Amino acid sequence: MKKKNFNYYLVYPAIIFILVVLLFPFLVMISTALKPLEEVYATPPHWIPQNFTLANFSDVWFKYPLGTYFKNSLIVAVGTTVLNTILCIPAAYAVARLRFRAKSFIMYLFLIVQMFSPVIVVISLFKIIARLGLLNNLLSLIFTNGVFTLAFAIWLLSGYFSSVPKEIEEAALIDGCSRMQSVVRVLLPVAMPGVITTVIYTFITAWNEFMFALTFITSMDKRPLTLGLYNFVGRWTVQWQYLMAAAILALIPVVVLFMFIERDLVKGLAGGAVKG
Amino acid sequence: MARSGKFWKTESTFAYLLLLPALIFLIVFMFYPIIYVFFMSFFKVNKLAELVSFSGLANYSYMFSKPEFWQIIIRSCVWTALAVAAKTIIGLIIALLLNVDFRGRKIARTLTIIPWASSVPISAMIWQWTYNNDFGLLNYTLQSLGIMSSPPIWLAYPRSAFFACLWVDIWCGIPFMALVFLAGLQAIPQELYEAAEVDGAGSLAKFRSVTLPLLSGVLTIATLLSILWTFNDFNVIYILTTGGPGTSTDILITYIYKYAFQYLRFGPAAAMAVITFAILLVVSIIYARSYFKRGEIL
Repeated sequence: MKKKNFNYYLVYPAIIFILVVLLFPFLVMISTALKPLEEVYATPPHWIPQNFTLANFSDVWFKYPLGTYFKNSLIVAVGTTVLNTILCIPAAYAVARLRFRAKSFIMYLFLIVQMFSPVIVVISLFKIIARLGLLNNLLSLIFTNGVFTLAFAIWLLSGYFSSVPKEIEEAALIDGCSRMQSVVRVLLPVAMPGVITTVIYTFITAWNEFMFALTFITSMDKRPLTLGLYNFVGRWTVQWQYLMAAAILALIPVVVLFMFIERDLVKGLAGGAVKG
Repeated sequence: MARSGKFWKTESTFAYLLLLPALIFLIVFMFYPIIYVFFMSFFKVNKLAELVSFSGLANYSYMFSKPEFWQIIIRSCVWTALAVAAKTIIGLIIALLLNVDFRGRKIARTLTIIPWASSVPISAMIWQWTYNNDFGLLNYTLQSLGIMSSPPIWLAYPRSAFFACLWVDIWCGIPFMALVFLAGLQAIPQELYEAAEVDGAGSLAKFRSVTLPLLSGVLTIATLLSILWTFNDFNVIYILTTGGPGTSTDILITYIYKYAFQYLRFGPAAAMAVITFAILLVVSIIYARSYFKRGEIL
């Protein structure tokens, strides 16, 4: 049992202060989303809504194309995830289980590639997307998000595959399974938490992406959430209570999903440095 | 190893076959675009991003002769240095606090993650509203708590806008740092602290002689990652100020984007992208090296 000295009680005020600072904009978001228009533009502003309202949530859904934005984000995020998973599982298997000459080079490459800013390539990517006829098409976002999450996804998943003992699959092979069967029936079920982590990581990254959408999407009915809300600020300048209500709705799914994978992300990014 | 030649061959062929779809995808949408940008940077490019004629180093010399470009390089460095330092220090403090075994620690840890879990573009929009001078709750709160009697109109002036953007970037990056350091702290064996206590070390001495040395691996890798992410932070600046007023809050990454898609000057933008690529490559190779030094994945 740890002794509770003076320092122990000092932790609370410090932690509370830090949490207030870290959650400050979210408190602002909630406060604004629950206020009617007149209160949003009251001077001086106040924290607690006096005429508490939930109308912003229904307004933003029915008067503005938030539903369309949600649908587009969902298409992009699911599409990216499906594409990424199909490419990622065989590649991660190869890296984790097979011997080949270029392995360390490829792993090294994957680790470096995930650090490149999409802005570096967006200029030429724009031309490629245009030539493929994919401008203002959600497929452009599925491809570009897919490629920018691929390296880290392979990296994460191969780590999981390596942590599954080889002997389990070898036993399946001896029992007459084909290699394919040993992967589908034995390795994947055991490594399922890793697959789920990879899927969530890809989904969240695609859901949150902004720069590619800003560049490739031109019409309103194709905008994903991030771009839709960004244009919200420009077009309906005065309606901050709507933007905040929309932000709450857009953030809830990703924040909840993120909580499931945050430990794996930390481990995957920092590698052996945080083993344990 | 000591495998028969034929098996080795088929196994590696199989491996390349499995990697092929992913590699093709990376080549088409990442490596080819990088090479193309490199190529583009040596050409005169029209407003439709079509190559007009070979121009040698003209795009580079054009950028290098612009004082604004140098300002932006310096600003990108200052931006990265200040933000990474702040994230590291604040992250370490939070990690040390969360490492104390207090009631409600799990909840505190979960709440700490939220800025990282949140979508950066959407967070930036929320901050934009928070910074609003007339109706925003930040200045109101700062004033009513007496922290600042006349807080600036944050996003209106170059200096305050820079610090406003910088803070949002720091704010986004704190949770990752705190969590990595916390994981690092929890991997330190308790016996080491007990041994230090037996030797008569106080809290500060324990921190200096046990915590810091054992945390150095995590510290290096997290700092390198943070440098890369901070240097690459497009969303915060673009959404909060679009680099404005003027180009006063632009960093290299947003400046490249503006040059290409607002000014439609793709040639100089490509030249800057190549320079940025070189910078990122160096830092990410250092990151990869320290990663492999610690990890045992291969």
